[in-house]
Amino acid sequence: MEGTIQIEQALTNIQKLVDNIEKVIRGKRPQIQYVLTALLAKGHILMEDNPGTGKTVMAKTLAKSIAGMHGSSGANFKRIQFTPDLLPMDLIGSHIFDDIKKEFVFKKGPLFCNLLLADEINRASPKVQSALLECMAENQITMGETTYPLEKLFFTIATQNPIEMEGTYPLPTAQLDRFFIKIQFGYVDEVTELNIYKDYLGIQNNLENIQQVLSMQEILFLQDQTEKVFIHEEIVAGVRNIITDTRKHPDIVLGGSTRSGIIFLKCLKAFALVNGRTFVTEDDLKQMAVPVLDHRMIYRNKEAKQKALAMILAKELDRLSKLKITINPTAFAH
Amino acid sequence: MGLGKVHSWKKVLAQLVLLAVPTALFFFYMLWDVNRFYNILENNWIRQGIYFSSGLGAAIIFYAFRFRFISTATIVFAICYFTYKFLGGLTIGEFDAFYFSIQFLIFTILFCLGWLSGFGFSRSRYFTIGWSVLLLVTQIVIVSKTTDIKVETLINAFVPVLAYAFYIIYTSELIRNMNEDEKHFAWFIIKRLSGFGVIVLILFLIVFNILKNDFKAVEKEWGNSQADYNKGKDSESMTQKDKNGGVSNKDQTKLAGSLSKDKQLIFVAHLDNYFPDGKTPNPLYFTSCYYTKFDTLTQTFEIDSLMPYNDLFSPDPSRIPLYFSKIDSSVIKNTFATKNRQVVTADIYKVALSATNYLAPSTGFFCQPLSVPKEYKSQYKSVYRAKMWVSDLNSAYFIYNPAGNKQLEAFQELRFEKLREVKKISGPDERFMKYYTFMPKDEEYKKISVLAKQITANAPTMIDKMLAIRDYFLSKDEFGQPLFKYSDNPGIPGMPSANKLTYFLLENRKGYCAYYAGATLFMLRSLGIPSRVAAGYLTVDRSSKNPGWYWFYADQAHAWTQVYFQDYGWMDFDTTVPDANTQQSPQPDGTPPLNPPQTYLVADGEVVSVDLAKKQISMKITKLLYHDKDYTTAPAKDLLTDVSMASITADTGTVQLSAIKQGMHITAVSYAEALKTILAEKNDSVAAIIEKLPKPVPVDEIKILVKEEIQALKKKEKEMMQVPTDWFRIIKIFLVILAAFIVFVFLSPWLIWIFINAKAKRAKTDAAYYRYRAAMYYLNQLGLTKSELGPQQFAMLMDQQYSTHFNAFNNVYQKLKYSTVSLTASEQKTVQEFYPAFIKQIAKQTPVKTRFSRFLNIYNTIHYFTQPKIS
Repeated sequence: MEGTIQIEQALTNIQKLVDNIEKVIRGKRPQIQYVLTALLAKGHILMEDNPGTGKTVMAKTLAKSIAGMHGSSGANFKRIQFTPDLLPMDLIGSHIFDDIKKEFVFKKGPLFCNLLLADEINRASPKVQSALLECMAENQITMGETTYPLEKLFFTIATQNPIEMEGTYPLPTAQLDRFFIKIQFGYVDEVTELNIYKDYLGIQNNLENIQQVLSMQEILFLQDQTEKVFIHEEIVAGVRNIITDTRKHPDIVLGGSTRSGIIFLKCLKAFALVNGRTFVTEDDLKQMAVPVLDHRMIYRNKEAKQKALAMILAKELDRLSKLKITINPTAFAH
Repeated sequence: MGLGKVHSWKKVLAQLVLLAVPTALFFFYMLWDVNRFYNILENNWIRQGIYFSSGLGAAIIFYAFRFRFISTATIVFAICYFTYKFLGGLTIGEFDAFYFSIQFLIFTILFCLGWLSGFGFSRSRYFTIGWSVLLLVTQIVIVSKTTDIKVETLINAFVPVLAYAFYIIYTSELIRNMNEDEKHFAWFIIKRLSGFGVIVLILFLIVFNILKNDFKAVEKEWGNSQADYNKGKDSESMTQKDKNGGVSNKDQTKLAGSLSKDKQLIFVAHLDNYFPDGKTPNPLYFTSCYYTKFDTLTQTFEIDSLMPYNDLFSPDPSRIPLYFSKIDSSVIKNTFATKNRQVVTADIYKVALSATNYLAPSTGFFCQPLSVPKEYKSQYKSVYRAKMWVSDLNSAYFIYNPAGNKQLEAFQELRFEKLREVKKISGPDERFMKYYTFMPKDEEYKKISVLAKQITANAPTMIDKMLAIRDYFLSKDEFGQPLFKYSDNPGIPGMPSANKLTYFLLENRKGYCAYYAGATLFMLRSLGIPSRVAAGYLTVDRSSKNPGWYWFYADQAHAWTQVYFQDYGWMDFDTTVPDANTQQSPQPDGTPPLNPPQTYLVADGEVVSVDLAKKQISMKITKLLYHDKDYTTAPAKDLLTDVSMASITADTGTVQLSAIKQGMHITAVSYAEALKTILAEKNDSVAAIIEKLPKPVPVDEIKILVKEEIQALKKKEKEMMQVPTDWFRIIKIFLVILAAFIVFVFLSPWLIWIFINAKAKRAKTDAAYYRYRAAMYYLNQLGLTKSELGPQQFAMLMDQQYSTHFNAFNNVYQKLKYSTVSLTASEQKTVQEFYPAFIKQIAKQTPVKTRFSRFLNIYNTIHYFTQPKIS
């Protein structure tokens, strides 16, 4: 009985969060959902698009919604603007000589926070990129002989400009793999665009006065609840089919790994929760496949990039949609 | 570079088994068919089929890998082409490889065709349709080559190709759409293929059931006519067998690769023809028919019923009552022969010869069936007496090819001297001359003409020209070897559409009688001499024991040439060079049958009643032969006969008395000594004669006839009249079925909808599932495809467009399907109420016209049921 109440509480909280962000970010509901999905799945998200599409505002709004401006219960938000001359130390921190204590003390860098906005990640040198990504994977930093654990809640929102743009160091696939989700931010549609122009002052005001709606504890609780989302064994089989199909597909040079399958499952659960459900459906599969898998694949050519995954997905969705209703409550009931 | 595979091995195997094997089998059939019309293929259809199949199989396997078509096919074709060019230019000593290059060309064409089709099956989606059309067109060309288009020809030609087309299109699409990773792969294939098989089977069963009577009629017609048991072989026989196993000469003779002969005894004849000394038997060739026409396309000699001045008398002896005769004197008039002619009698005892066949030397004009003497009933089937208008210049000794026999040559001079008197080449009229000197206009026949003029350059008269041609066949080459040889297996030319006669005359110089007769015929005709080919039996006088008796075996079936001489009529000439083999092994002759006994009474009429106990038959007679005098009676007279001693025969042989039924037409014959003394007065009527006879009249022989045969005749006529209508009916019914099939195809989306809808409405368990599927089917059929949208996205789109509650239902459905949470009451209600309202709402917002046209679109239906596939 308590469980149900908690779940309902969680669902309300998520809705609150989405509504809060929507006050600032207009017409980007799916993107907001993806960001929250990555947050709940204990992963990180990479957003890619041209400058000025609202990536940074998105990250800021989220941070404010869960961190608040003051208050100790809020999450700690840091932002790093990546530039070509940025050094790893600027992220991690460094040992500084303390005049009083007469010893070197470790001065923590911006990575020691709950919510990190890594802006324009592909403008930094590969050295810095790998330093950041390493921390994201390990959740800890080793400096000399001491290991410093990162915060329990550590969520990175990275943004990057399209690879074709000048002055970028593209992230290799192996490093892209660290991000649970990669989304294209995209422009809003024409109607929303007009609304934004009409109300840009209001939006700016909203951003400045954004309220903290969730505490860090509540976020951690939501992350726990995510694991309890029910996933039907046919959906799991569907994930398996999709992953193995990407390995067999002639136009995909590098297919999905087992790890990517597990990440996929985690994201599916989180996405279901973000959508206010406690079970995963075909729709989740359909909507999560590209954000989770696309950046992990190496395609033979551009044409394949657009088609291959969509075909695999269409085939699997067709199989699922034709399945009869078979419920096996014992399977995957976490 | 690693070779990527396009298909999995399972798919390749499926293509090989389900596409390549049936295609190869069908191609074997096609090649077999084509081989009948194109000599160049030389009847090697099995080998050619293998060429094609190997190309097909190799291409399917080859193109299962990621090879480019244009470059690889170009290489294959180029290799084939240059090998062909190389072979064509190759000379080994004096030996020209031309023949091999032609063979290789055939191989190349078939292999490349196989290769192309293999690629098509492997990679191209629409190939099967083009391929089927190509085969259909080929089949139409083949049918147009057939000289006698019958219903069965059409069925043989088009049913297989249509069935094949249906099959191949369906199966290739099936294989293309199949999910390679499907666990129940075999079941998937079997299920669909058997479904298709059932549909095809039902289709054909319907056709055959509806047309059953027509097929039977066709079959009977076929059965009654003379069946050609040599069909499909490039082998020819001078005789043919009918349904009862009787042998007769054929009404056409094809020039073929080989002649089959056997040693069967056909008939025995007693010929009452002697040399002027009255003792030496004078044998005559027995004529069955005249081949006056030559079909250049099939290279076949044919009987022409339209020949001018028909001098062929061909009654059916089995239809003439015993001892009654059939005479046609017009044939005598039509011979225009007045000199050296006389009437000769012959008795022909049939052994294997068909009961309906009439054979006689020269121009027969009289036929009288006789009864076989009792002792010989098992040996001879029937006897008839023939009378002929015979020229004494047509003695077999005059006709034989002397082949260097000096004695024979000297004897034949007698005849030639007489015929030399005929200086002018002329016939009764222009039409006659034009008909009998007709020659096809063709380069090949010009060659014959040139040769004929060359041979006969020094021959002044018709007979000398004829002899020059005969001697040409007997001449020797520069090595002293005979120029021409007799062969039952001369073989056929290996050149495209080669003329067999010129091949025989100028190259091969081996052949059997039809070749010699045909070559002679065209040489004579090219010289303007009226001539024709006669078919029948060569007569050999083998024994001195039984003068006037001749035995005829199957290998004596023969063809020779006849030349028209003014006033002398048709003169026979045999230009066939002797075959050493048959000369060396003469057939042993048996003993001749005794003459039939003297008949006193022959009564012909209908059976009134049969008394099996007393063995008496009471009959109504219409014709009476008494002491060789013929009487007919207008009102039929009653005659009671005693048949206790009689042997009863039908055409097929001896039968029981019980076989005689009331109403049958029978002929009763009596040899009773009792009748010998009872003589008829000069002016006695039939009634008066019957009065004098003992009651009952003893009868020795009864032959059943006519009645059945009239029926058979009527039946046959009826069937023959039906044949042209069959044609249209078959086409009509075929079209109706085709139309029905098309209607069925177009209706199928709607029928499927009815089924799915009913299921959705009635389903108790899994109601949500069936309703969801039905809604999806309905939307899909209306062109609202989900394509790549997720279920929720799609449902929301539909709700937007049609203001329905699809999304609410979809959410419940997804919950039901993927979660363990049980439905709330309101959700249950949604499941219950959603479906009918939804369909109604969609229908309301879609115009009827749109719905109608969308429901005709079978592609939407196919799309709904096909699984999307990767790449």
